[in-house]
Amino acid sequence: MTLTSTEAPTATAPAGLRPTPKRRPDATHLFFLLPTLIAFTLCIALPAVMGVFFSFTNSVGYGEWDFVGLANYQLMFTDPAIMASFWFTLWFSAVTVVATNVVAFLLAVGLTAQIRARVPLRAIFVIPMVVSPIIIAFVFHFLFAKTLPTAAQAVGFGPLEESILANPDLAWLSIVIVTAWQAVPQALLIFIAGLLAIPADLYEASALDGAGPWKQMKMITIPLMAGYIGINVIITFKNFLNAYDIIVGLTDGGPGTSTRSVAMTIFSGFETGDYAYQMATATIFFLITLAIAVVQLRLMRRKDQ
Amino acid sequence: MATPQPPTVSRRRFLAGAAGLASLGLAGCSADAAEATEIRFYQTKREVIPYIGDLLEQFRSEHPGIRPIHDTSEGTLNGQFVRSSPPDLALQLYNYEMARFQERGELSDLSDLPEAAMITDSVKEQLELYPTYPGRLSVLPYSMMSAAVVYNQEIFAQHDVEVPTTHSEFIAACETFQDAGVTPIYGTWADPWTIAQGLVDYTVGGMVDVINLFQQLRDLGPDVGPDSRVSFSKVLREPLEKMLALLPYHQGDANGRNYGDGNNAFANGQAAMYLQGPWALVEIGKINPDAQVGTFPLPMTEDPADNKVRVNLDLALWIPEHAKHRDEARELLRFLARPEIQDAYNEFALGFGVRTDAPPVRDPRIAPMQPYVDRGAVYQGVSQGIPTNIPFYNYCQDVVFGADLERMLATLDADWARLAKRA
Repeated sequence: MTLTSTEAPTATAPAGLRPTPKRRPDATHLFFLLPTLIAFTLCIALPAVMGVFFSFTNSVGYGEWDFVGLANYQLMFTDPAIMASFWFTLWFSAVTVVATNVVAFLLAVGLTAQIRARVPLRAIFVIPMVVSPIIIAFVFHFLFAKTLPTAAQAVGFGPLEESILANPDLAWLSIVIVTAWQAVPQALLIFIAGLLAIPADLYEASALDGAGPWKQMKMITIPLMAGYIGINVIITFKNFLNAYDIIVGLTDGGPGTSTRSVAMTIFSGFETGDYAYQMATATIFFLITLAIAVVQLRLMRRKDQ
Repeated sequence: MATPQPPTVSRRRFLAGAAGLASLGLAGCSADAAEATEIRFYQTKREVIPYIGDLLEQFRSEHPGIRPIHDTSEGTLNGQFVRSSPPDLALQLYNYEMARFQERGELSDLSDLPEAAMITDSVKEQLELYPTYPGRLSVLPYSMMSAAVVYNQEIFAQHDVEVPTTHSEFIAACETFQDAGVTPIYGTWADPWTIAQGLVDYTVGGMVDVINLFQQLRDLGPDVGPDSRVSFSKVLREPLEKMLALLPYHQGDANGRNYGDGNNAFANGQAAMYLQGPWALVEIGKINPDAQVGTFPLPMTEDPADNKVRVNLDLALWIPEHAKHRDEARELLRFLARPEIQDAYNEFALGFGVRTDAPPVRDPRIAPMQPYVDRGAVYQGVSQGIPTNIPFYNYCQDVVFGADLERMLATLDADWARLAKRA
């Protein structure tokens, strides 16, 4: 948008990268956009606008309603349950982003090295991505609630003898573990693509200059992967902010209210007649996600240039 | 209340799927709609779906002109009202979800039906737990559930323990079991609803006039707080402190056990007592048909005359104001409300009758509660009177897991006031 400054054309663009002259798109192109545009408007844009509209009312979703101005927003910001769900979601997302990307990066380095059975191993590590989150959550629920305590009791390991899902201080960790387990493959694929794009001669040249594996990692791999790391961090962060199904399957927001995500809080409004109020939460949440999306787009564009 | 809610498919997806199926169903059926009027009958109490299905079959043969469709899609009711396509008739839990439909005038008046005149006064009083719509009888009560302490008669006999009638006798019984190495009470605290309906409702109901409490709280509305005349902090503190004193009498791993675990353990004699309703008796009977179980109200004071049992209006019939086929829905309603059908249902589901001429319950497991019901020594669960926008079940779990009680009650007061400001 604002990137094309007046100085840009004076820089000598290398041959072949000269931007194509801008033309108005013709009617045919617009016509092809139409189906998506209609679907997007009807299914996403319009409901979203209606939701924002209702956040200024006291509607329960049906029947009569009145305008209440900004009351929902005022009450929302003083509602400890909603604020707690925002903090939980941000904290959980931040921790899971780190866990997911560190694990995925290390795995990617391992899976691009000259090891045996590289390709079948890659396929195995991608499996969690294709299983439905709710099924994963149920399987892990069983593992955390039954298998792990039984195993811990058998070997007499005190801290894990009680289900960690029942521990208000630790339940969130189980969600981090399961979410990361499922999110690693996608990040892994992007990292593998990035690693394969680094020219091998860089490593050869540095090896001749006496660089060891650690130095190569620090001086070559990580700097050249910076763009991929950035994109992965943003994509995973945005996904984790919407955490819903895995939490529902594992802890259902408990114990107590210790693991309620924003998405769960918003959806509860639909079930409990708190429609307008939770629409206010949704609107604020939308603005937060929008900000993150803008950052994401910026970063991606910078990588393109 | 009757059905535990294990986490299932993401609700949003479920709703979307159900909506899709519903529209397919409507399109598919329009062909033979010429002869019979289709009405949608909503009923989701899981344990009785097949039983009710058989009743609908019977209705169809009696009324060939009306074809009731049995809608059992759990969790979709609110969405149906939001989309302005409510069911024609429903037989549902009388809980906060439906109280909202009632309060907002979405349910039609049933007071002109002859069946309405037969409802007992104590049941009518129970309707007052929730705000009603002025001048209307929005629901026709159908079945009432009564819950108390479930106990294993063999274990009681083995240790020479009589059914306690005062709070100190109850504590003494727990001590006796504990000294003998028997778990006194089986806890299933991984499921928050079991804490709310058992420990919390029994201890509060044994000491507090629940309906009166909510009427006063509603009058105060946004003014409920630490300094108000009535508040959760003031009224619930004592009973809940007594509740916390009962926690050591539960088994060690109660934190991680859920409703299903509890039914299994209790049916197999792993504890002397279990704080659950008749719905659990049905499950226990399936697991161990020979289990000798009985029920008694949890005594909370030193006067046996104070003892009461927890009741809830389990099912009620209602017809939305905007139902498409109200007359046909009324036909089906009157069919289901026939004494011979209603009483047979209650016997099947271990429910209590709600009509003045309903027979007493005969099942030995719940019969001990009948005298209390007869003389009105009953209370409604406090957990049922708190709007579902306040995660009260989760708060209860927090406290049982060790959170500060005072702070929880203060949060509850603040939540109530905030909710009242939004109304």
